Amino acid sequence: MVKNKKILFIIIAILALIPIITRTKAVLNAIILLLIFATLGEAWNIITGFAGQTSFGHAAFFGIGAYTSTIVFYRYNITPWVGLILGGIIAAVVAAIMSYPCFKLKGHYFAVATLAVAEIIKQIFVSWDYVEGATGISLPIIQRSSGFAKRLFYLQFNEKIPWVYICLVLFTAVILLCSYLENSKMGYYLKAIRESHEVAESIGINPTNYKLYAMLISAFISAICGSMYAQYILYIDPFMIFSLDISMKIVLLTVLGGVGNVFGPIIGASIFIPLSEFTRIKLGGSGTGVDLMIYGLLIILITCYQPKGVIGIVQKLTEKSKKTNVGGEGKIEATSGN
Amino acid sequence: MKYRRAEDSPLFTKLKGEEHMIIAQIIANGILMGFIYALVSVGLTLIWGVMDIINFAHGEFLMISMYTAFWMFSLFAMDPLIALPICTILIFVIGVLTYLGIIRRVINAPGLTALLATFGLSMFLKNLAQFLWTPNFRYINNSMVSGKTIELGSIVIGVSQVVAAVASIILTVAVMLFIDRTRTGKAIQATALNKNTALLMGINTKKIYAITFGLSGACVGAAGALMATFFPIYPASGALYSVLAFVSVAMGGFGNIKGALFGGLIIGLAEALGGYMLGTQFKYAIVFLIYLIVIQVRPKGLFGW
Amino acid sequence: MKSKLVLLLAVVFLTTSLLMGCGAQQQAPTETTEETEAPEEAEEPTTVETVRIGAILPLTGGAAATGVKLRAAMEVAQDIINGEYPELAKVPLAKEVGLPNLGNAKLEIIFADHQGNPEMAKSEAERLIEQGVAGLVGAYQSSCTKPASQAAEQYGVPFVAGSSSSAALTERGLNYFVRVAPNDDIETAMFFDYLIYLNDKYNADIKTVAVAYIDNEFGVHAKEMVEKWVKEKYGALGFELVGVVPYAVDVTNVDTEVQQIKSLNADAVFHASYIADITMFVNKYKEFKVAPKAVLNYCGGFQDTQFVVNLGSDSDYFAGGAAFSAEKLGDMPELAKINEFYKAKTGADLDGPALEEFSSVLVLAEAINIAKSLDGDAIIEVIKNTKFDAPYYATGAIKFDAKGQNEILASYMVQTQNGKYQAVYPEEIATAEPVVPIPDWDKRN
Repeated sequence: MVKNKKILFIIIAILALIPIITRTKAVLNAIILLLIFATLGEAWNIITGFAGQTSFGHAAFFGIGAYTSTIVFYRYNITPWVGLILGGIIAAVVAAIMSYPCFKLKGHYFAVATLAVAEIIKQIFVSWDYVEGATGISLPIIQRSSGFAKRLFYLQFNEKIPWVYICLVLFTAVILLCSYLENSKMGYYLKAIRESHEVAESIGINPTNYKLYAMLISAFISAICGSMYAQYILYIDPFMIFSLDISMKIVLLTVLGGVGNVFGPIIGASIFIPLSEFTRIKLGGSGTGVDLMIYGLLIILITCYQPKGVIGIVQKLTEKSKKTNVGGEGKIEATSGN
Repeated sequence: MKYRRAEDSPLFTKLKGEEHMIIAQIIANGILMGFIYALVSVGLTLIWGVMDIINFAHGEFLMISMYTAFWMFSLFAMDPLIALPICTILIFVIGVLTYLGIIRRVINAPGLTALLATFGLSMFLKNLAQFLWTPNFRYINNSMVSGKTIELGSIVIGVSQVVAAVASIILTVAVMLFIDRTRTGKAIQATALNKNTALLMGINTKKIYAITFGLSGACVGAAGALMATFFPIYPASGALYSVLAFVSVAMGGFGNIKGALFGGLIIGLAEALGGYMLGTQFKYAIVFLIYLIVIQVRPKGLFGW
Repeated sequence: MKSKLVLLLAVVFLTTSLLMGCGAQQQAPTETTEETEAPEEAEEPTTVETVRIGAILPLTGGAAATGVKLRAAMEVAQDIINGEYPELAKVPLAKEVGLPNLGNAKLEIIFADHQGNPEMAKSEAERLIEQGVAGLVGAYQSSCTKPASQAAEQYGVPFVAGSSSSAALTERGLNYFVRVAPNDDIETAMFFDYLIYLNDKYNADIKTVAVAYIDNEFGVHAKEMVEKWVKEKYGALGFELVGVVPYAVDVTNVDTEVQQIKSLNADAVFHASYIADITMFVNKYKEFKVAPKAVLNYCGGFQDTQFVVNLGSDSDYFAGGAAFSAEKLGDMPELAKINEFYKAKTGADLDGPALEEFSSVLVLAEAINIAKSLDGDAIIEVIKNTKFDAPYYATGAIKFDAKGQNEILASYMVQTQNGKYQAVYPEEIATAEPVVPIPDWDKRN
């Protein structure tokens, strides 16, 4: 536990120092997106990594959050901070409604069901006039000369640096919550459910309830990330916000980092987001698709040579230093190695 | 704003004679489209069922097959129906290579790693197509079957779709027979049920996996050649079908070939009829809704066990 | 085991080197910003080596086909500005090398890819601005132009949109944003005027109208404009909107949609569709023998020359608004030359959106040249107060109104006849008579 805290501290310190080293917008933009998606990955990790329920529909909660804070500001001129909490609550309610019937589904049936729910919600938003439907919403911009207090109140900044720190605070809070959860009674229950539904039930855990709690927390955090994202981009439409791409991005970067580990999402996002941003910046202008080819190829390479996620390396290194032998991991190595 | 159509939408008024014909036509369209979804789904369900892997690049295999058909047609004037074996073999080979090069390394890794690898592959293939063949929209306009129609009373059916539907049935039956009747097929079944037991029984599971991946590629390769006669071809064209194929596979039950066929048909009918009654913009939402309903009744898919 | 670690390290190394490379790339332009900004303060004509402008386009993803074409059109504009083309004397900046008022500085377009994603459009706009571009062009999809131009507004950098057609873009009160293409509002009015023309001159007897549209920003706007114009003006002139047929983005088939259009039985169908959808629609129109008297397309798939290539003779008699018709090249030598350059790059004729993006580069470059400065305020001042010569447009000029909309209608009605886009309306610029009504499918040869 102490060791983990050290790693966490190092990660946060590095991210906090970056704006001091460079003010290049492309780098800061990548850091902000990285933090938002790492936070989303943490949220997703709660329901999938801990509780073992694969969700392919987290864009639904993300989008509900984005839309709630935007609508609250756009229609009623209420600060997005209120919308942010409200969005989290609405997303949690939606999560509860959709989860209850879905939780009796196992494995991929559940995954496809979450995907279906997200697609249905997207279509609702596309056709819903109150949220401006397919047209999307450009957020009203507050005066350019506004002071910092007002900017913070309306969550709109000319600069990127406040965003880096806001997202960093959010991420830190979420990762602390997750590591607390992981080591709490609930965390153990969830892992028991993940390993075996039946066994968990037999020792007196009510799987449905615990999965539901995990889902509510996960949806709430995702929605807050959505609000942040909407405030950062200042434009949303259903196609960008509810896209399958976002749902998959959350899944993929967490898998890349390591599922079920609190450091997985941040490690995955630190590779995934800069990789996509910088291949695009470097080569995207050519219009030949070379950037995404390289991006795809690198992902294949990383997964092929590190199938347990990048966290696997870290674990391997620490194991080596401890010289302990863990049977389960050795088995995986043996079979994937040849 | 009110439209004339809204008032006499078939949902609210009694059907008039003409409306009956339209409904019949729409059912026919839905069934034909359903066979196409089935065609794409059969390959996907094989891999999913046998190896428990979601092949994200399935749509890209389809796209490559469509491009193959297109180039055969435009360079060698070879009709897509004649080029079908070429497409099938090519994608079979690509499937086997995918297994040997990528999947083999990730199959024992935890859950979603293979998804990540195939996502990378899909990204790579999609953009390779753009790199090699430009992102232009291609279309085969004058193959043997395109543009020809059969008229049954007032119902019009495109020959190209009928051919695709018939091929879809043949293909599904062929794959089912292969799985049920041949030694390799039985080995695939055994591996799907329990890999380790299969291994103990002397089945070379690696070979079986390679064959399964190839077989899945062959199915989608055939689908690509058939669909090339009536769909536009471009780097992202395959991706459109993969999500619907996921749903139809899940609706039918993972690994169940008959399930994929019926799943496809249900999707085709749902989008055609549902779209007509409730508004065409909702047609995919209706498909997803039907999946959610079906899965409540049959939590492991229509034919899942 | 070891080889695995080595490979992984290699991957990580590659990523980092990419990252570093990027950092280096970022460094260089920052310096130029300082360079270019210093003389501005002195209020003197600047002498710079190159003037950079940024172009944000969908170069990968679903709209890549169009994005790559628009990129080629912009490159043609860049070549014309940077080279000497005495034969194009009427085209601004063509006969001299580079921008004469800035010491013949060369124009350099930095292209960026937004993949059709508004988030990326915004971050690319910011990145280009940071690299010191004097202005931005793009971004094709209106949903991407919105956040990108908002970023430009924030930093006071002019944004000249070429082909984004959403009317909402110029209703946002932005000071640094102008748009060359006619918006869907203007285009809808032109469609109805064209129908009136068909009714008056060719006794087409077109009364009922239906709209088939893709259920996204582009399509929904087009539909709203039809509703608006029918209510405000054309309803009173005898037109009735009998129904609308929306269809989902990324549609896999349009059977049901075509059945609905058939059952609406409208005289004219307005289409707001992209190339993949419109190809499927035409295919199904033929299959189900749906032949309205007229089919009019908003700026989208129909204008892409691939439409004619793909569909052959089936593509005939569809109509739409466009800023370009290859049949007009005979009367317009400049356009013919530009088209030649474009064809050398892409192998295809220009189309409306490509010409609009081409002109957006020229407008921005000319404004920089007139302003003799890279300062955003000076440039936008020129853009808003100048009537730009545009001999490549049938109307010959570009002039922006207070909201930033080009008030000189650049497009006209074209109809595909024998695989060619013929200009058919307004009458004075027509290259062929419109064919109306569209002949039944079995009467075509």
